[in-house]
Amino acid sequence: MRLNVSLIIGAILTFCAISIAVVSTFWLPYNPNLPNIPNRLLAAGSAEHWLGTDVLGRDIISQLMVGARTSIVVGAGGATISLVLGAIMGLIAAASGKIVDETISRVADIMLSIPGMVTALVLAATLGSGALTTIFALTAFFTPSFTRVARSAALSVLQEDFITAAQLYGRGRMPRVARHVFPNIAGVLIVQFTLYFAAGILTEAGLSYLGVGVTRPGISWGLMLSEAQNQVGVSSPLAMWPGLSIVIVVLGLNLMGDGLRDVLDPKLSKSIL
Amino acid sequence: MTGILELRGVSQAYRLGRRSPFVTASYLQVLSNVDFAVRTGQAVGLVGESGAGKTTMTRILTGLERPQTGQVLFDGKDLWEMNAVERLEFRRNLGVVMQNPRSSLDPRMPVGSSLLEPLRSLGIDCDHVARVNEVIEQVGMASSVLGRYPHEFSGGQLQRIAIARALMTRPIVLIADEPVSALDVSIQAQVLNLLMDLVTDLNLALMLVAHDLSVVAYATSRVSVLAAGEIVETGQPLELFSRPKSKATQDLVAAVLTMEAGLAGRGLD
Repeated sequence: MRLNVSLIIGAILTFCAISIAVVSTFWLPYNPNLPNIPNRLLAAGSAEHWLGTDVLGRDIISQLMVGARTSIVVGAGGATISLVLGAIMGLIAAASGKIVDETISRVADIMLSIPGMVTALVLAATLGSGALTTIFALTAFFTPSFTRVARSAALSVLQEDFITAAQLYGRGRMPRVARHVFPNIAGVLIVQFTLYFAAGILTEAGLSYLGVGVTRPGISWGLMLSEAQNQVGVSSPLAMWPGLSIVIVVLGLNLMGDGLRDVLDPKLSKSIL
Repeated sequence: MTGILELRGVSQAYRLGRRSPFVTASYLQVLSNVDFAVRTGQAVGLVGESGAGKTTMTRILTGLERPQTGQVLFDGKDLWEMNAVERLEFRRNLGVVMQNPRSSLDPRMPVGSSLLEPLRSLGIDCDHVARVNEVIEQVGMASSVLGRYPHEFSGGQLQRIAIARALMTRPIVLIADEPVSALDVSIQAQVLNLLMDLVTDLNLALMLVAHDLSVVAYATSRVSVLAAGEIVETGQPLELFSRPKSKATQDLVAAVLTMEAGLAGRGLD
């Protein structure tokens, strides 16, 4: 029996990140926004602040915990909304006639041709920056991709003989899609979800770093990176902690996606777990 | 010629893609004025080379495609003029076995659920579990396999399960579209024997589609040869084998004989 190492490591890392985000909603070591000038720029390893403090003396661990919550809420929120919308649009495109399919596919193409950062900047300018705006921006980036993936996977399943068999024993078009097509593309979509969850965290960090994502009093890893960049020569670990957090969570999600790809394949599942 | 399921004067053509909007659309004639009948208690064969129109004819017979001209009659009623209740009755009375057993069962469903699908979809009121157990035994498999998934079976076993699914609604017509062409030679005879036994035991009307004349000759009592969309010859298998009249039948017979002669020449007969 072979264990899926990618899935196990990825799941552990993701679980840890989600757990930290959950804990941050009811407990934090310190107020992450409260300046404490006497304790500014403490190095990691101090008794009171294990990972040190920033230029205003704010506790790094507390900020990382709130940052984990922001990253996960924004990344998962954007990826989830995109998954739902994209799966519905992709399935409708694949199962409908040529006109509906062409319309949905061309709209997706147009949306994909618009640079994501431009969309995010326009949204930030019109709606104001913040976590919700970032989720809207991610939904705009990711939905066309999910639509394409769902459509092409569904088209492939619709060619299978078991779909024709279902038609022969009287299943209508949408019941065929719900009973046979969706379960057969769910694995692909779940894997895609984990990858876009990770991409969402990276994009959120990028937008916050540029100042069009989360801003104080909100905290995100991208914002922490942005604030730490002036201290790189003075206190380098300040930039390292949020950077390392992003790397660990994104790595965890990608490993989990790879592992799920194997586990969700019915032909391979027996030999993996 | 009357039968439980019939084609009368059926023609079908497909529009080909145009290279430019200024060119007149052209059509590919797939079936031309085809008459064909399947009778209760009888196994009939339809044989023809690839591209002869067998799949189109099967799709029209099963109601998946509407012919441009001609009629599809089930028990004397035109399939395309049936009301919803009659159409449901047609679906209950028709079982279809497809070419590729691996593709014909949903890989995400245990085979027991796949067998239940026709009963649920067509709203058949009976003891579903008992029916599944009865049919799986009818095709020579144990009911212990019902919880397993398609990838856990061999091609021959899957084709038996596909036949079981086709029988779930107690059909009176069974259409088998190249049911053994994707199977190992050693398994082909087992599946054909099973189909022949079912015709006798259940008094089914069987239509067996194949490109291999020896397969239909083995399992059916009457064979029609389809070539370029037309039925060019109909008769008993032995008669067709010994005195093929049309060029298409001669080619099909020659293909079988060439293979046999080749095997004999290599000492493999």
